Amino acid sequence: MADHDHKPAPMVDEVSDFEILELAVRELAIEKGLFSAEDHRVWTEYVHTLGPLPAARLVAKAWLDPEYKKLCEEDGVEASKAVGIDWVMTPPTHFGTPSDYCNLRVLVDTPKLKHVVVCTLCSCYPRPILGQSPEWYRTPNYRRRLVRWPRQVLSEFGMQLPEDVEVRVADSNQKTRYIVMPVRPEGTEGWTEDQLAEIVTRDCLIGVALPKPGITSNAKRPVLKAKNPVHHDH
Amino acid sequence: MTATNRKASDGQEIERVIDTSPIPLLEEVQSKGRVWEDLAAQYGVTNPDPPWKITLEATCDLLAGDSCVKFHEEIEEGSCALPALERRAEEDDLSETIYEEVPFPERQLLALAHSMIRRGLLDEQELARRMEQVGQRLNSA
Repeated sequence: MADHDHKPAPMVDEVSDFEILELAVRELAIEKGLFSAEDHRVWTEYVHTLGPLPAARLVAKAWLDPEYKKLCEEDGVEASKAVGIDWVMTPPTHFGTPSDYCNLRVLVDTPKLKHVVVCTLCSCYPRPILGQSPEWYRTPNYRRRLVRWPRQVLSEFGMQLPEDVEVRVADSNQKTRYIVMPVRPEGTEGWTEDQLAEIVTRDCLIGVALPKPGITSNAKRPVLKAKNPVHHDH
Repeated sequence: MTATNRKASDGQEIERVIDTSPIPLLEEVQSKGRVWEDLAAQYGVTNPDPPWKITLEATCDLLAGDSCVKFHEEIEEGSCALPALERRAEEDDLSETIYEEVPFPERQLLALAHSMIRRGLLDEQELARRMEQVGQRLNSA
């Protein structure tokens, strides 16, 4: 007998026009031969498996193992294999992915150097090791302002950096993706890799947050609109 | 018409043109469709993203083919249906204009459909008919 005591998780019991639109666009694209249904299924299954945990584990491992940290700095793609991510062979294509080029750089922070990642052109993101990008990462506001006023933008995320800390902004592109390895925080002495990985949140890996004992989730961030669009009429 | 240029990471200018005038079918979806943040709140669902977000991402990726691993100028015309960089640039333009009030990822979906219609990859009437059929199917249970 099944146990029926538990309550089912709540579900949205309503079909929205957006859900209908997504399926209609997809069906027509398949019928027109823009891509195949099988490719879509395989790719969707792969994308479903992605998330920020492998990147968090990479950082935690590096904090505990200086040799591994060196490997991370020298060859991010090779270092990713230790946390189960093979940038070339794991995706269904077996030669990388159409959207995530197989080159990862791990940017190592120091007490006097803070890295933060952006994609000024669109929203390139190290998806194989970090999952889907958050909404604010895609916005023109973040992309335009971070490269101009990084300290101001970081302060909006709650990070106040002393003047003597240098900020470096890494601009992702089609060929290179980045994650940030923050400095291991105080108060984590004697912690295991699992404990350390828990505090390396997605935002820490993008560089807009610092790891802190007790903080294991990303802060909610309002999405700001760009005030000065860079469009030109022709 | 809005025409905008932006520089690629190698400094090359990318020209793009997207007609940001409203498309009636998509305007209707925008005005009548219920967005995930409202549905999730009403039904007490904690997942921050609608279930169709992953399949939408996959559609965008597959339409881009190999354009994400090549520099923009290396992509042969016609080699993929909708290059990622062009789609994202158009999404930015549309997100700042007619779909400004729509939350994410509904905005990404409307922008994709808009780009596909404007490029002739989809026909508005054909999409309207298909939406009718899909709606009947999804609501038949």
